[in-house]
Amino acid sequence: MKALRDVRELSTLALLAIEVAFFAWYLWPDGGRPHPFLNGANALLILKYSSIYGIAAIGAAMVIISGGIDLAPGAVIALTGVVAGALFVESHWSLGASALAGISAGLACGLVSAALIVGARLPPFIATLGVMGIARGAAFIITEGRYFDVSGQLPAGWRPLGLPLDWTSPLLMVALAVVFHTLMMKFQWGRAVYALGGNPIAALYAGVRVDLVQASVYLIAALLASLSGVALAIVQGQGKADLAMGYELDVIASAVVGGASLAGGRGSVIGAVLGALIFGVLRNALPQIPGATFYDRLIVGMVVIVIVVVDQVLQRRSARL
Amino acid sequence: MTAAVAFEHIDKSFAAIAALRDVSFAIDRGESHAIVGENGAGKSTLLKILAGSLRPDRGELRIEGEPATLAGPRDALARGIGLVHQEMLAFPNLSVAANIFAGRELTRRFGLLRDRDMRDRSAALLDRLRVRVAPDARADGLSLAHRQLLQVARALAFDCRILALDEPTTALTAAEAEQLFGILDGLKAGGVTIIYVSHRLAEVFRLCDRITTLRDGRFVSTVARATATSDDIVQAMVGRALETRRRTTTFVPRTAEEGRRSSPAAALATGRLSSAPCFRDVSLTVAAGEIVGLFGLVGSGRTELLETIVGLRNATAGDVTVANSRRRFRSPREAARSGVVLVPEDRQRQGLFFNLSLRHNLAIPAAEAEGRTLVGGAERAHAAAMLRRWRIGAAAIEPSDTPDVLSGGNQQKVVAAKWIATKPRLLLLDEPTKGVDVGAKYEIHGIIRGLADEGAGCLVVSSDLPELLTLADRILVMKEGALCGELPGDATEEQVMRLAAGTAA
Repeated sequence: MKALRDVRELSTLALLAIEVAFFAWYLWPDGGRPHPFLNGANALLILKYSSIYGIAAIGAAMVIISGGIDLAPGAVIALTGVVAGALFVESHWSLGASALAGISAGLACGLVSAALIVGARLPPFIATLGVMGIARGAAFIITEGRYFDVSGQLPAGWRPLGLPLDWTSPLLMVALAVVFHTLMMKFQWGRAVYALGGNPIAALYAGVRVDLVQASVYLIAALLASLSGVALAIVQGQGKADLAMGYELDVIASAVVGGASLAGGRGSVIGAVLGALIFGVLRNALPQIPGATFYDRLIVGMVVIVIVVVDQVLQRRSARL
Repeated sequence: MTAAVAFEHIDKSFAAIAALRDVSFAIDRGESHAIVGENGAGKSTLLKILAGSLRPDRGELRIEGEPATLAGPRDALARGIGLVHQEMLAFPNLSVAANIFAGRELTRRFGLLRDRDMRDRSAALLDRLRVRVAPDARADGLSLAHRQLLQVARALAFDCRILALDEPTTALTAAEAEQLFGILDGLKAGGVTIIYVSHRLAEVFRLCDRITTLRDGRFVSTVARATATSDDIVQAMVGRALETRRRTTTFVPRTAEEGRRSSPAAALATGRLSSAPCFRDVSLTVAAGEIVGLFGLVGSGRTELLETIVGLRNATAGDVTVANSRRRFRSPREAARSGVVLVPEDRQRQGLFFNLSLRHNLAIPAAEAEGRTLVGGAERAHAAAMLRRWRIGAAAIEPSDTPDVLSGGNQQKVVAAKWIATKPRLLLLDEPTKGVDVGAKYEIHGIIRGLADEGAGCLVVSSDLPELLTLADRILVMKEGALCGELPGDATEEQVMRLAAGTAA
């Protein structure tokens, strides 16, 4: 089992490397000018923007591995940013307290999802579709069309934990990926998540606390989405109700490209982060290709399909052997 | 001595259907106790109550003399009750070791997994069961037999005081089953109480001290093995239906000659049919009106052969001739339209739509085969007639009910009936009586014979050797993907097994 999953993550990593190599070659500048894609500043830019949905993708991967689906992350990201932004900018709370309040709002969304799925036994798709609407609606109600200029209020040259501001959210993503990957692979809780996704009835009979595990997965997914929300508020410098529109699909796509199976039981946290980076590179490089601006959505969509189809073909071949 | 488990006046109903009615009996500590009965008798419901996944409507479960209200499977496990399920409850996505310890992982603080310890313990356990599988192998790569033994290993992995097994040998060969019995004997000697549910009376008599029979959700009797014969048990199980059994046992075995005389045309001929890597060079014929049995051990390629004939899998070489014309079906639909149908092995997954009423279940194949587009009201009358004709379920069963209200045997009859409704020329049956009780088995045999008498060719795959010997005009034996012999219908079990298992067994 372990060997197989390692292979799957390596292939995602290889894909990312091929992608970077391709754009490095394609965008190679003429006559000694600086490379527009292959440079440190651009790499940081990619990492910064990928981390916004990359953090949430960690949660999405775990939800999908457990056999569920979460449509709320985009709305939760926006709500967190708006709540934190409103308190920070208008009520002059401290940054930490505002962020905590925003995260609490996100967690509340997760709690509602978990209660609907575990308590009321709603299908996850329906439950989180409802929560998505509620969270987005709450964000609009709070802002009443305004937006909160967070960056204007941040102390100039602020270095959280002594790090450059731009580094914080990529580092947060990496740290969270390591933590949750370890939890999923090395701890009983993670094993229970895989078991639940592999065969929910067998999990119940095996004595897995199915309800608790399922609820925890949606709560953690909401927590990670709200951390994404805080990251977005700081990176973008604003809290706004219509931010992160459609991110739920980017987040799900990242997890799936990273090896998560929507049938449950298969996938990995590291894979989801690598998946987020694959999209981050695409989104960064495509606009730099002259004339490709209008194609980027189309290309991103095709990439999802190609990667998943190739993965399935490979899976089927390895199953036959 | 207090009983290990006592059921006291247990009632349990699902919707309007009573599964258990006032069931009371006790299982002594340290004995091995069989629970037998036809499908639908309530055995599985009783085990689910013991495993904590169902709660009785009335009555009490006592464990070691204490009244026990189990909150769930987890609670039952905590009280030392282990259950080996009839269904293949494996985690296909996890390793063998992770399967064995699922829900009861060995951990350090904070739930950190002790992977190495679990792997070692799994290896030792698999060794004890003589299952040659690596603890790191993924469960979805295992054979059916190994998956079933994995369930047994799961139960053995923790020290249970009460071990209940629900049909644990359905996918095992005789040798593997005997190995399992040896292990169960050892556990019993160590003081574990064994509860054994099976249709196979030979196993029950081999293993158990006492035998409890249930019928229609009621307790019939508990008898000691020494004082009972297998006829007594069958009589207790079948009860009122004994008449059917007597009539069918006097059935004169058909002969191939009889079959050929009634209609000389071959219903099916395959010429060196192959589907790599499952089977190769299979050439066989089935005459119209003939019942041909196909025997082989698990993994011999029998199911794959049937699937290839109806177009579920691609042939890599060879040809199929149906009613004198060469055909290569691309789908079961195409096959059904030419009168070739497959009654599949797994009724849960391949046979029934549990979201649809019996009426629709019964009508879909015929409607597809005949290319009907309108769903007519006549279907309801047809369905009701079929339910009566095949004696499916109790009189209270309506065409508007869903299949889940039926017992396994009656579900199997629905699967057979829906295909027979297409009036096939050639009927392929894969384990038509797997997990089915004695009464339903004879009825299904009657259905197959009736169809053959009307001129259809039947190719029956079964692991149940006595069944093939009573049913088939000829028996073909497959081994490791190739046909390895043909025997007349009056062959002995020994002759067939010698071919199927080869000298290696």
